[in-house]
Amino acid sequence: MAPSATSTEWDHQFHTLRRQDLFRNPPTDHSAYPALQLAVNPHIESFNAIFRGDGKPGLLAHGLADIGTKVFLDGNDRAGPEGKNRLQIRIKEVTLQKPQVPPSNKLALNREIFPAECRERHATYRGKLSATFEYSINGGDVVEFTRELGQVPIMIKSNRCHLENNSPALLVSRKEESEELGGYFIVNGNEKIIRLLQVNKRNFPMAINRPSFTNRGAGYTTYGIILRSVRPDETSQTNVLHYLKDGNVTFRFSWRKNEYLIPVIMILKALVETNDREIFEGLIGPMGSKAAQNTFLTDRVELLLRTYKAYRLYSKSETRAYLGQKFRVVLGVPETMSDYEVGTEFLRKIVCVHLGNVDVTEKQDLDKFHMVLFMIRKLYALAAGECAVDNPDAIQNQEILLGGFLYSQILKERLDEFLSVSVRTAIRDYLRRHPAVSFTSEEFRKEFPGGIFRKSNENIANGLEYFLSTGNLVSASGLDLQQTAGFTVVAEKLNFLRFISHFRMVHRGAFFAQLKTTAVRKLLPESWGFMCPVHTPDGSPCGLLNHMTHKCKIMTDYVDVSNIPALVAELGAVETSSASTDESVVVMLDGKIIGWSTPKESLRIGDCLRYWKVEGSHNVPLQLEVGYVPPSNGGSYPGLYLTSTPSRMVRPVKYLPLQKEDYVGPHEQPYMSIAVVPQEIESGVSTHVEFDPTNMLSILANMTPFSDFNQSPRNMYQCQMGKQTMGTPGTAIRHRTDNKSYRIQTGQTPIVRAPLHNTYGFDNFPNGMNAVVAVISYTGYDMDDAMIINKSAHERGFGHGTVYKTKKITLKDDSRTRAAKSVVKMFGFAPHSYVSAAYQGMLDDDGLPHVGRMVKEDDVLCAWHTVTPDYNGNLVNLDGITHYEKYKDSEIGFIEEVRLIGAESGSEPLQTISIKIRIPRSPVIGDKFSSRHGQKGVLSQKWPMSLAGKAGALHGLAQDSTPFRFDEENTAADYFGHQLMKAGFNYHGNEPMYSGITGEELGADIYIGVVYYQRLRHMVNDKYQVRTTGPVVPTTGQPIKGRKRGGGIRVGEMERDALLAHGTAFLLQDRLLNCSDYTRSWICRRCGSFLSVQPTVSQFAPGKKKAPSMVRCRNCAVRLDDSEGIDLTEIQGEIWEDGQGNCWVGGDQTTQVVVPGALKFLDVELAAMGVKLKYRIDRTDEPRKGPMKPLKQISAAA
Amino acid sequence: MDALHYDPMAMDGEPEQPQVKISAADSTRVDFELSRTNLPFANALRRIIQAEVPTIAIDLVEIEVNSSVLADEFIAHRLGLIPLDSKGVNELNYSRDCDCEQYCEQCSVSLTLHAKCTSDEIMKVYARDLVADGRHANSVGTPIITDPEGLGCLIAKLRKDQELKITCIAKKGIAKEHAKWMPTSAVGFEYDPHNKLHHLDMWFENNTDPEKEWPKSKYAQWEEPLQEGEPFDYDAVPNRFYFEVEASGTMEPDLIIQGGIRVLQQKIGGLLKGLDPRKYGGDDADMDGPRSPDMNMDGGTTPWQDGGYTTPYGNNTAYGGGNTAYGGGPYSQGSSWQ
Repeated sequence: MAPSATSTEWDHQFHTLRRQDLFRNPPTDHSAYPALQLAVNPHIESFNAIFRGDGKPGLLAHGLADIGTKVFLDGNDRAGPEGKNRLQIRIKEVTLQKPQVPPSNKLALNREIFPAECRERHATYRGKLSATFEYSINGGDVVEFTRELGQVPIMIKSNRCHLENNSPALLVSRKEESEELGGYFIVNGNEKIIRLLQVNKRNFPMAINRPSFTNRGAGYTTYGIILRSVRPDETSQTNVLHYLKDGNVTFRFSWRKNEYLIPVIMILKALVETNDREIFEGLIGPMGSKAAQNTFLTDRVELLLRTYKAYRLYSKSETRAYLGQKFRVVLGVPETMSDYEVGTEFLRKIVCVHLGNVDVTEKQDLDKFHMVLFMIRKLYALAAGECAVDNPDAIQNQEILLGGFLYSQILKERLDEFLSVSVRTAIRDYLRRHPAVSFTSEEFRKEFPGGIFRKSNENIANGLEYFLSTGNLVSASGLDLQQTAGFTVVAEKLNFLRFISHFRMVHRGAFFAQLKTTAVRKLLPESWGFMCPVHTPDGSPCGLLNHMTHKCKIMTDYVDVSNIPALVAELGAVETSSASTDESVVVMLDGKIIGWSTPKESLRIGDCLRYWKVEGSHNVPLQLEVGYVPPSNGGSYPGLYLTSTPSRMVRPVKYLPLQKEDYVGPHEQPYMSIAVVPQEIESGVSTHVEFDPTNMLSILANMTPFSDFNQSPRNMYQCQMGKQTMGTPGTAIRHRTDNKSYRIQTGQTPIVRAPLHNTYGFDNFPNGMNAVVAVISYTGYDMDDAMIINKSAHERGFGHGTVYKTKKITLKDDSRTRAAKSVVKMFGFAPHSYVSAAYQGMLDDDGLPHVGRMVKEDDVLCAWHTVTPDYNGNLVNLDGITHYEKYKDSEIGFIEEVRLIGAESGSEPLQTISIKIRIPRSPVIGDKFSSRHGQKGVLSQKWPMSLAGKAGALHGLAQDSTPFRFDEENTAADYFGHQLMKAGFNYHGNEPMYSGITGEELGADIYIGVVYYQRLRHMVNDKYQVRTTGPVVPTTGQPIKGRKRGGGIRVGEMERDALLAHGTAFLLQDRLLNCSDYTRSWICRRCGSFLSVQPTVSQFAPGKKKAPSMVRCRNCAVRLDDSEGIDLTEIQGEIWEDGQGNCWVGGDQTTQVVVPGALKFLDVELAAMGVKLKYRIDRTDEPRKGPMKPLKQISAAA
Repeated sequence: MDALHYDPMAMDGEPEQPQVKISAADSTRVDFELSRTNLPFANALRRIIQAEVPTIAIDLVEIEVNSSVLADEFIAHRLGLIPLDSKGVNELNYSRDCDCEQYCEQCSVSLTLHAKCTSDEIMKVYARDLVADGRHANSVGTPIITDPEGLGCLIAKLRKDQELKITCIAKKGIAKEHAKWMPTSAVGFEYDPHNKLHHLDMWFENNTDPEKEWPKSKYAQWEEPLQEGEPFDYDAVPNRFYFEVEASGTMEPDLIIQGGIRVLQQKIGGLLKGLDPRKYGGDDADMDGPRSPDMNMDGGTTPWQDGGYTTPYGNNTAYGGGNTAYGGGPYSQGSSWQ
């Protein structure tokens, strides 16, 4: 067959047959929904960049170059480097294989491991990481060897995954969705994605005013310039310039989580051979320029240079040696390096690393010199108030840290750590044990790669698996990030909307979540077109967790800008500059100054470059960002900032002069005039126009029909609720083992939908039902936010859902100790053991459940027994006891699937099974439903709505619901009103209705329409919490917390206040005492103490059971042994005995009272601190002895 | 009057008896006008033909083999909704009234379904594959098949080697219990097409024409529109009702209406019997009359004998034992007012 290529064009129509055909015959060429893949691509491409396939060095190759060569010395640790042998070692190459069955498995025929298998086995989808090392001794022959570094998780559909570029048909045969997107990892069966993070724009000096800067020391002001400088391997190093009150400037950086401050002149002098005049002119401009008259500037630069005189460092070599001497220990360089070399290494590793990171040339050092000068200039402008601060919360000054890049950074650091720590310790240990051995000896040569390397911890891969499964970053350097946890999230496949949203989600950083200020959460106008204004959760992550618009792309590679410096020079940029921005503004390409020009000219250069890039001429790439910042009175620091780097966002808009697609970035956008609709274009002002106003919305926000007619927060709610809907998680549910997954059985496609609904293939995963809805208040069940469902619709399956729960039962200990690896348990009934008839019926002969069986609470799910190897090595059961795993949920479920999970080696008996249980959930009163407009409600009654409903699609049409299609003259109500009239209905959709009870016509006109309803996953069955008695906290006697354990719901202070205000005292007592820590306790009336009472022990009592419950106060009693002077005949009252055989008399004024258990607890706690509590007990409560007497007499007796 | 005008009471000279005028009828639907009666009666008839005319539907499903992709309960639900022939349903007992243990041929029809796919093609299992036991003289309980191919509803699809072996027990029931027993799929009900009684609001915007916005019902031609200057008759009550009964296929529409009338008669009979047993006779003739139900379901003490301290859940308090700190039962013992 050679059919035409699968069409990827979609409109808003139903396309029922086309979709059916796509389902039955998955395309063998490419997906019909390419937009979906585009949405996920930034994740995959960033992972692909680690190991590239196109011949260019990958990120890790760049990283290895940065790690460089390590040098180790033999001989005595304490002695100097003289006369020792040198071992030089470096990592030449790192490779990552596709996932495969380990060689220890001799049985597997198909050696490839596919993601579906990992999901089902609760395993990790990972491939073997190996590194080629290269070493030489004393600079001699280079020896190469390869080591395996463990297995690292691999991103699905990346270039290390078997699913890369698979056609839908092939994907289906590999047990995936036909539209499998990839972009996530599988770790222990869970799908994990690395969150996208907003970080500062790279290689751009940002002006910052931050109060915390003053904490750096005396004289420090709040002004600073932050430069996040990124190396070619995507690791970053932040350089900060601080402005001091006296005009001085210091350079700050962090290295391995410690901060260091250096006078900025020292950096400048170390970078190039220079003198004070050159620095002065570099900062201010040539003599005679306008800036030279700026005394604010000249005074400060003079002071800057003057104060530096104290160091007495003049030449480049002197300065570098000084820096080297100071930072030798910090950088951990080998002893063989000279101070000068260490200083060079310092500049290479820390200062403006984006301008030269490996084998830094003098030209690159000069670039760095110019960059630092520019930063100082901007800092002075900031301090003088000539330029405004750059907002680090605005997307204008941000970029996105991609998952793959972060992954590669961690990998690089692990490798660096491995080489400089693990290998170093291994060698040192070896030398200590063999003091006589030197690197040149034959013995060492034999031992080195094999024996010594084995000692070092080679398992780099485990760290990455830990990172992905917990999201915690364990790092010595901190990777220049502000958080150490929360990097990964589970990509929940609750429904498809939620799943796809995970990939478009951008987080501001966990650090900002704790911030008290709400400034970071603001919706800024800069975000237009890049971040969806609607799609952010309400509540604590509001504004921190954003979603990219559906057209926003993230660059994952550099675009080719080799031609740009020449073009800029041709257009009139010059090398000389002045500090006055009226005279000259910078032209910067990726943080490198490529020239200066007048402000007017920079605009012309920018416009030229833009024209060329859209035109595609002069080798200017389309995705180049031409950030023209115009000069202004105290606004942002002007300049022309060209950017070609990865990690930045771009989005398509139409360039008016050429009527062609242009890509704009967030840094340039604020200074451009982009019309939203063609009518808005202003001649001579607008340069661009949006392709569609809906481009500013995220995928989900675009799914809300006619969102422009909604109250704005409703759109936000819908974005949340769309993600909580019980929908269709996928078509390959059979091959998934999510802990919990929800599915709606009667899904439909919405009648009203946007064309994007089809473009993103949401009909493959229906999310709700078209329901005929009447808006009426009539029966009394129509309370706030509630709804009623037609009884017949309910009984015919409306909203019927299913919950799948997967339970993994493993007989192995999870601990990874070697002892736990042996087989001690096996599934099945123990031979010859007693099995009750009830259990036998529940399980098959193999001890596993039948598929399709109904399980209730406490039914058994599987049987197992212990085994020990006998003398033949056969595993036999000795004790004859069968153990069972039980089903613990209170809801009835059905066994859907039973999976037997074998060991990876293929040589172990069955140790792990996973059971999927299906729980049917038809809608019940209390379940939550919502329309697509943020209108949620709970089901309050199932009601036989007996009257004729409106036909759902009167014309059988799919309605386009794209927002911004109607306006005041041409309203939506009119458009659809006329459609309704055509079908013979009322213009407003109102209809006469008849009371179902009396048959009488209802006076009001009732609106009836068809609404797409979503069933939300919040169901009462998962929520209801009831208790009267139950488990309590042992110390206080109050109910425990938690629904799962049968705990209570707290009646807190506010609830208490409400009950008091209502005067419901008895209810209050019931809640706070009777249903809580009601305790009956003995107390002594005389001394008023709970703690001094004790039960008596009678020596004549026959047994423990019949002991009389007599309680006496020991405090008020008199011990007979002590009271020798007392006349025994005068003693009144009974003699009693305590447990130790002591006899006491008195203390009989005890009584029982009801108190909260917490009170007794408090009494005990206070007693422990030496505080005694005394309670006064009302005498009128005294128990009556004998016949009733008048009250007066009792009080007289007492 | 035409031939369709059915008025058996006309001879008695009592024109106040209800009248039925059938305007259209076929095997699945009937449109008629019910006149000379009042709204409560017409509405009662509507409600009963929708919810209380007994039909037969599959109620118990025994699944022996189900290797299809559909879950057991899912197939069972689908089977329940298959329309079965209910013409002779009056001969069957309700299962709960029957003398048998669980079900028998007096109160049920059993249908079996056995399908296995042996070819590579996907096999479709239809309602026609349900085989009734044939122990009943009439066709009661056989699946209704109205499509030209004679297949009936689709139950499931099977792949190669998948099998369904199912025994279904169909029982008599009414739609109040479950929608699967509905004899009708929809019942249209309308009166006063010109809104002469002003029961409806018929709202319209000021600048629009209500005649255009509110399309007239087809029954508007059957009645005289409001004449110019005709005063509003506030004493008027509706007396012409237009029914459009759509059958679900299990019964013919005339049987549904007749069945509905019978159920209505029985209900009225039962009510009369309950109200005045001496006059109308019946089992409860010796009963003393209405009383409120006992609080204790077990027929024990009546609530007014224990001072109101018995809850329907027994007399134990939440904190156990029924004993409080102040003595025995709540305020009952040890105090002087006894």
